[in-house]
Amino acid sequence: MAYAQNDTDHDRLMRLLMQIARDDRDAFRQLYELVAARMFGMCLKLAGQRDLAEEALQDAFVQIWHRASEYHRDRGAPLNWMMTIARYRTLDLMRARKARPTVGDEGLEELDDGRGGPLESSLRDAGASRLTGCLDELSDVQRDSILLSYYRGFTHEELSQALSSPIGTVKSWIRRGLMALKRCLER
Amino acid sequence: MKKTPERIEALAAEYVLGSLRGPARRRFEQWMMESGRVRQEVWFWEERLSELSRELPEEAPPRSVWQGIERQLWPQQPKAEPARSGFARWFWPGWSLVATAAVLVLAVVLVQQPRQPATGQLSGAVVQANMEDPLWLVSESASDRLLKLRSVAATAAATGKDYELWVVPESGQPLSLGVIPAGGVHTVRLSDEARQALSESRTLAISLEPRGGSPTGAPTGPILHVTKLYSL
Repeated sequence: MAYAQNDTDHDRLMRLLMQIARDDRDAFRQLYELVAARMFGMCLKLAGQRDLAEEALQDAFVQIWHRASEYHRDRGAPLNWMMTIARYRTLDLMRARKARPTVGDEGLEELDDGRGGPLESSLRDAGASRLTGCLDELSDVQRDSILLSYYRGFTHEELSQALSSPIGTVKSWIRRGLMALKRCLER
Repeated sequence: MKKTPERIEALAAEYVLGSLRGPARRRFEQWMMESGRVRQEVWFWEERLSELSRELPEEAPPRSVWQGIERQLWPQQPKAEPARSGFARWFWPGWSLVATAAVLVLAVVLVQQPRQPATGQLSGAVVQANMEDPLWLVSESASDRLLKLRSVAATAAATGKDYELWVVPESGQPLSLGVIPAGGVHTVRLSDEARQALSESRTLAISLEPRGGSPTGAPTGPILHVTKLYSL
């Protein structure tokens, strides 16, 4: 991945956010150049359509400009905070538009791209995450439900269709999967 | 519903994942506002699950996205033109106040007015971020110099306050167009001076003033909105 999340980048993003909180437009532009492609990749994957992803990215950066002063370390890494803003905005727009170009097997195939080999190696490199290991401890259906929700924004109804299972079953896969994930992450 | 640790834990995870939706999602956002414990739980998941996003392929967004951000955040500044002193002196302190408070966001949209095909008329809307409907729609009738504001989603000013409408000229002090109501359709007749200033700058502002309008003739309260009109 072109964007390595090391300490320098982390500090740089923190510094930029502090400058933006003081209405520094140059810092805002630099921040955009640093992280926009990464955020757009995520929005695009989630939304599955360009115009919605572009709108979500634009809204997310407007929010970042206004909310930079709200950021603090408890919110996690600066990049994660920004990605989360963009992700929620994309989900909001998807739901407002009921946008879903394709549901079904295609979603499952694309999932493999999102979570292939590089995921595991880079998380190991980061040295910080046990997420991948913990995901591997879940059952296949639990893991698939969680990842389809995360990467593709699938609703319970869409998951039920994609995984050919009743909605109640899908809900319980997600709930139990998430709780098992948390127990593992806390170990 | 009681905020038991088990419920907080389960709902926070589903909130971040996105599978918590509709009224349940809004109820949970209320919980987040009320409780630091709930926020901590949400932040835990936001941080952990963000790691999944790290591995998605990057994609350069088109230039139009950055231009849209600039247009939305700083609509009053035409690019590559230095800020004009009169406007800047008045405008920036107020803008900074609004931006810092992060309450209201300024933006501009082009509003189609299909029933008014005449050319050269100004048109626009006062909008607020995260709201689907504009607060007011603005249109100009060229023949009789009337500026019409139609309230769409504007809400009444706080008790003892009024909204005041201003033409922001390219230089010099803003010109008051008087107090505007939050509801209904409001029409203002433009003076020669106001018409001239508006046709040059095409910029309107709305400030929050004491009941009855600014006592000084210049904006005294926070500038809530600035909007740039378009020629149809």
